[in-house]
Amino acid sequence: MATIVAAMAMTHSPGLTGWFERAPLQQQLLAKKAMDEMRWRLEAAKPDVILGFSNDHLLNWPINNVPELTVGIGEEHVGPADWYDEWLALGKYRIPGHPGLARYIVNEGARRRIAFSYLREMQFDDGFSVPMHYLNPFNAIPLVPISMNCTVPPIPLPTRSYEVGLALREMVKAYPENLRVAVLATGGLSHEPGGPRYFWVDEEFDQWFMAMLAKGDHDALLRECTLEKMEAAGSGGTAELLAWIMALAFTRGPAEVLAYMPAVAWRSGTGMVVWGEFA
Amino acid sequence: MASVDRCDKTLPLNEMMFYVRKSKALRDRWNTDLAGLCREFGVSDAEYQALRDQDVRALHEMGVHQYYVPQMLRLFYGASANSNAHPALEAYKRAYPEESARALELAARLERGLGGPELRGPHVQGQGR
Repeated sequence: MATIVAAMAMTHSPGLTGWFERAPLQQQLLAKKAMDEMRWRLEAAKPDVILGFSNDHLLNWPINNVPELTVGIGEEHVGPADWYDEWLALGKYRIPGHPGLARYIVNEGARRRIAFSYLREMQFDDGFSVPMHYLNPFNAIPLVPISMNCTVPPIPLPTRSYEVGLALREMVKAYPENLRVAVLATGGLSHEPGGPRYFWVDEEFDQWFMAMLAKGDHDALLRECTLEKMEAAGSGGTAELLAWIMALAFTRGPAEVLAYMPAVAWRSGTGMVVWGEFA
Repeated sequence: MASVDRCDKTLPLNEMMFYVRKSKALRDRWNTDLAGLCREFGVSDAEYQALRDQDVRALHEMGVHQYYVPQMLRLFYGASANSNAHPALEAYKRAYPEESARALELAARLERGLGGPELRGPHVQGQGR
């Protein structure tokens, strides 16, 4: 039976590696300090595997066939994809996968009427590359990546993401081997990649969202954090927070906010949180 | 309607970008044979002209997925150090001058007004606003 040993979330904006030094020094220091803290806590939890939630940036699937959810089931993951390495200023990395858990999720999900597509060779963009660079720099912890669609309409509702998170939590806890699982969500906060407000960050929304997480009332968050509210704070990007909402389903009570900064230089509200209690 | 909802999922230009990003051979033709590349993917003249002219607003209005638009611009100008000052993003400032100016003013204000990192937690009300 698997055990949840950590749950955390962070922004994955490409600026965090690609043009990190273009942000004000205070933001660089705050982001680095928070990501160091996340890494220490992740390592202290001694996970056997990271169960990662992020979103595909139209890289793995053509626009005529975008699944809601995709699991990377390979023995090993290689990233970043060629188109992304120069942009992210990252060299190639190889992270072990965990095909046992990944394939179990695909099949068990189907039994629970949740369609997980899968890829034996998932392509990695900023969604997993940036967090792995900071949190798993030696690629020592195996990764099961789950990407969701939050940018090609129809975009799932937050309540749907929470339901998927709850189902994943049940599935993972019922996994027939002893496994220590760290849950990591990546994406957000407010941003509008490629849209008319490409440079904009909605600090008011971000502060509200982080305060809701810090308050720890999941029902209130799900009631108030509608898709419309996310889209108003940055269309096609802020909804990356659906990954955080999937992770929320593995937790209980408040999140500890390690950092928040309205990082216009990275074109994204930027934040890092960890949860201390697991459901 | 949120801007991402303007995406036309059936637009040939959207289909083309998926394959261009995956293929170095196709990417290499971007700056040498863009017209031929567009023809092979059934891209209309209007789509091609908006792309050639790097007309961000027209690309949005015809239904190019907004995430792809800066990717198209990076194919013209390169992808490294893609900060807000990168030439690939000048087309956004031309297409959306008010939105861009508002955001960049915010950036300048934040840079001037930021306190120490310890002051930036969400529990601190009103800082830097």
